[in-house]
Amino acid sequence: MTLFIAYALIAGVLVGLSRQLNGRLAMSTSPLIASFWNHIVGFVFLTVLGLVLGNLILPGAADAPWWVYLGGPLGVIFVTAGSWLIPRIGAVNSALLVIGGQMVSGVLFDLARGAPMTFWASALGVTLILAGVALTQRSR
Amino acid sequence: MSSIPAQRPKPLHLLAAFASGGLLTFAVFINAEAGRYGGALYSSWLAHGTGTLAAILVLALLRLRRRPAEPSASGKAPLWAYLGGISGAATVMLTSTSVNTPLALAGTLALGLAGQVAFSLAADQWGLFGLPRRRLTGRDAGAVVLIVAGSLLIIFLGMGS
Repeated sequence: MTLFIAYALIAGVLVGLSRQLNGRLAMSTSPLIASFWNHIVGFVFLTVLGLVLGNLILPGAADAPWWVYLGGPLGVIFVTAGSWLIPRIGAVNSALLVIGGQMVSGVLFDLARGAPMTFWASALGVTLILAGVALTQRSR
Repeated sequence: MSSIPAQRPKPLHLLAAFASGGLLTFAVFINAEAGRYGGALYSSWLAHGTGTLAAILVLALLRLRRRPAEPSASGKAPLWAYLGGISGAATVMLTSTSVNTPLALAGTLALGLAGQVAFSLAADQWGLFGLPRRRLTGRDAGAVVLIVAGSLLIIFLGMGS
């Protein structure tokens, strides 16, 4: 169990590390070019890994709906935005604002598709997040 | 190295960051669907492959319209700056493993949040990996507490019923 806790913690650290590295690359190139390198390097890495492990594409893959091909392009915009932001507002602000946006949109998305939700807790959570976001904006 | 001052977020930054978090919600949902059909590795591989093609397409369109970008003030990027994609790909492997343990989605999200915030605090404090240092203030601490508390409330009490 300790191992899996470490996995989940390290996954979070790697999200931050990835944004930091892509942000550094964007400072010498551009945010979009950093996003391009992020994707192609990840693609090559995963291709090699898939060939080594031998189970890259499971038989059901072809039955997936057409819109599964849109996740990658959205990811390109996401990495471009992060690489543009981090040299400008810092790692903490970037992480907090992206997490805030993810949580609030997640709640709205779950509401819209009627997923089970404890409304008071989600509403209070969104309120706290928006208060935190407002705090990053105060000039003095 | 720290020639670009890291300011406080302006409304444009806030909007960009918040909106990109929203994009991530959809990307995660879409990639999870791909994973349901083809497995977690396939899902991440597909996202990186289609993302590479999309980035090439947009870069090509931009090149057609204007001259290559001016040389940057930051000099050549060190080789390690190109490794963000490995870090991102490894993230997917770790989370798709821990989601299927007793930690489940809630535990994975909460611990990932903690790891991400801890790393970003260290990154700003010491200016890790060639990005500008940023002195942390009491207001940063307040924002961290509010946003992390709100997120944990949604993850552990809000999600599900």
